[in-house]
Amino acid sequence: MDTLVNVAHGFGVALLPINLLYCFIGVFIGTLVGVLPGIGPISAMSLLLPVTLSGTPESGIIMMAGIYYGSMYGGSTTSILVNIPGEAASVVTCIDGHQMAKQGRAGPALGISAFGSFVAGTFALVALMLVAPKLASIAIAFGPAEYFSLMVLGLVVLTFLTQGSMPKALLMACIGVVLGLVGLDSITAQPRLTFGRMELIDGIGLVPVVMGLFGVAEVLLNTEQAIKRDIINTKITHLLPNKEDWKVSAGPVGRGTILGFFLGILPGGGAVVASFASYALEKRLSKTPERFGHGAIEGVAGPESANNAAAGGAFIPLMTLGIPPNVVMALLLGAFVIHGLQPGPLLITQNPGLFWGIVASMYIGNVMLLILNLPMIGMWVQLLKLPYNILFPLIILFTILGVYCSSNNVFDVYVMIAFGIIGYFMRKLGYEPAPLVLAFVLGPMMENNLRKSLILSQGDLWTFVQRPISGACLVLALVLLTAPLQPSLRKKRELVALDEGA
Amino acid sequence: MNDQTNVKLRLSNSELWGGLIGLGLGGFVIWSGLKLKLGTINDPGSGYVLFYTGILMCVFAGAIIVSAITEGGPTLASRWENVRWSKPLVLIACLTAFAFALEPLGFLLSSIPLMLLLLRLIDPVRWTLAIPIAVLVPSGMWWVLKRLLLIQLPSGLFGIG
Repeated sequence: MDTLVNVAHGFGVALLPINLLYCFIGVFIGTLVGVLPGIGPISAMSLLLPVTLSGTPESGIIMMAGIYYGSMYGGSTTSILVNIPGEAASVVTCIDGHQMAKQGRAGPALGISAFGSFVAGTFALVALMLVAPKLASIAIAFGPAEYFSLMVLGLVVLTFLTQGSMPKALLMACIGVVLGLVGLDSITAQPRLTFGRMELIDGIGLVPVVMGLFGVAEVLLNTEQAIKRDIINTKITHLLPNKEDWKVSAGPVGRGTILGFFLGILPGGGAVVASFASYALEKRLSKTPERFGHGAIEGVAGPESANNAAAGGAFIPLMTLGIPPNVVMALLLGAFVIHGLQPGPLLITQNPGLFWGIVASMYIGNVMLLILNLPMIGMWVQLLKLPYNILFPLIILFTILGVYCSSNNVFDVYVMIAFGIIGYFMRKLGYEPAPLVLAFVLGPMMENNLRKSLILSQGDLWTFVQRPISGACLVLALVLLTAPLQPSLRKKRELVALDEGA
Repeated sequence: MNDQTNVKLRLSNSELWGGLIGLGLGGFVIWSGLKLKLGTINDPGSGYVLFYTGILMCVFAGAIIVSAITEGGPTLASRWENVRWSKPLVLIACLTAFAFALEPLGFLLSSIPLMLLLLRLIDPVRWTLAIPIAVLVPSGMWWVLKRLLLIQLPSGLFGIG
C-alpha cells in the first residue's frame, strides 16, 4: 500500500509540466545520441551536466536519466539500419538486426527492439520500485568498511570488464583516485596536488574531466577516419512484428529482461555486458543456433531487452547505496552532488519526492520513447544523414560553452582541452577512460571511508575482512584481480570485455 | 601483428612508453604522499591514500613494462597507421590556440575563427556554408547565454562580447 502511495506521489512530481518537459528533452536527446554513431550517452550526459544547474534537482536528474535509457532505445536504430552501433550496448544488435534489414525486415527488427525495450524498461522500473526501498533499509546498517569494500569491488569489476589489459585499466583507476583527491583534504583541510593554483583548491571539476575524456577525445578519434555509412534505403514498413515474430521473441524478451536487470545491479556491470550475455544465452538455448548471425529476431529481441533492463537496474546501487555502478551513474551522481544531494540509504526517506519522482518519470519516459521510436522512426533515419564535418565542430563548441557555463571559469576550459588531448592519446595507446572516471568520482568517498574505518577500528586492518559484507566484497575483488592469471578465465574476460567509451 | 609493428625491447614500443609514463606518475604520487605526511594507521594523514595509490600505480606500471618487454607491443607508428593522423593533430593545434586566445580575445573573437578552422580543416565544408555557420552559431549561443540566461562570457581585452 505504501508503495502505491509513494508511486502516486512520484507521479505528482513527474507530471508537473516542467518535469514533463525535462523528461521529454532527456529521452529525445537520448534517442538522438543513441542514433548518432560516435556520440554515446556518456558524452551527451557530460555535455548536459551543466544544464541541470538551471532547474530543480528533480528536473535535472529526470533529464539525465532520460538521456541514459533513451540512448538504449536509439542505439538499436543505427545498428539495424546502418550496421554501426549507435552506442556500445547496441553492438550485438548489429549482428542479426542489420541482416534482418538487408532481408527487407527492418520494420519488425525496429519494432521488436522498441517493444522489447519497453517491456524490459517497465519491468526494471517495477523491480526498482520494490527492491530499492528494501535494500536502502538494509544499507542503513552499512559502515565505512562496507562502503569502502563495495567501492573497491565496483572499481575492480569495471577494470575486469574493460577492454585491453587489466594492469592498464587498474593504472587508470589509480590515476582517477589521485585526480579525485586533488584539492583540500576533507579531514585536515590541507591542500593536495594544487601546485599553488587557487582554481584547484576545490578540486578538479567532474564536468571538464568527463567532457574532455569523452567529448573532445571522442571527436579527435572520430576525425581520424572518414565515417562511411551504408544506410538501408528501402522504405521501413510493418513496424509491428507478426504473430510468429512475437511467438519467437517472447522468451528472449523475458529472459533478456531478467538477466539484464540483475547484471545492471552488479557494480561495474551494465547494459553492454547484459546485451552480450543475453545474445550468448539465446544462441545457446536456441534449437536452431545456426540462424544467429543471419537475421534471427531473437538476436535482436533478447539483447535489446537486456540492455534496457540493465539501464533500469543500474539505478539501484546509486539510489540505495550512493555507489555508482558504472560511469553513466557516476555522472548522475555528479548531478546529485551539484544540487547538494547525496544519494544513499537515506535518500528515499529524506527526499521521497525526488526518488519517487524520478521513478515515475521513467515510466512516462518509456511511453514517450515508444512513441518517439516507432511512429517517428523516419525522422531518426533522416538524422543519420547529418554530415559529421558540421556536427563535430558544433560538438566542440558546445563542450566549451558547457564547461564554461558550469563554473563560469576559463580555467575549466583549459582543463577540458587538456583532458581531451590526454584522453585521445590514452585511447590510442589502449588505455580506457571509464575506470579513470569512475575512480575519480569514487576516490574521495573511498579515501573518506578508508580513513574513517581505520580510525574507528584503531588501525585494525582485519576490520575489512571480519565484517561479512565487506569481507565478501574484498574476496570477490581478489578473485577478479587474479582471474586474468588463469588462461581460461583470461579468454572469458576478453569475450565479455566492453568499451564504455563508445 | 607482424615484426614491423610488434617490437620488444625497443624505444618505439608504445606499451613500454605507456608503462614508463605510468611509473613516472606513480613515483610522483608517492613523493607527493610522503610530502603531505602519511600519519599513522590509527590516524591516517593527508598523504596516506596518495602514498599507497602511488605504490599501486608503480606496481601496475611495472606489470605493463614487464609485459611490453616479454610479449612485445605495437610500435608508436603502428598506432597511427592507416588513419588520418593529421586531422586530430590539426584539431589539437586549433584547441590549444583557442585556449591561449580565449582570455585575451574573448569568446566571440576566439570561437568564430575556431569554428571556421574546424569546419574548413577537418573535412572541408564549402566556404558558403562554413562562414555562416562559423559566425551565426557562436553569435547565437553568445546571445542566448548573455541576453537570455545572463551568463557572462569572457569579453577579452577589446571588450567584445
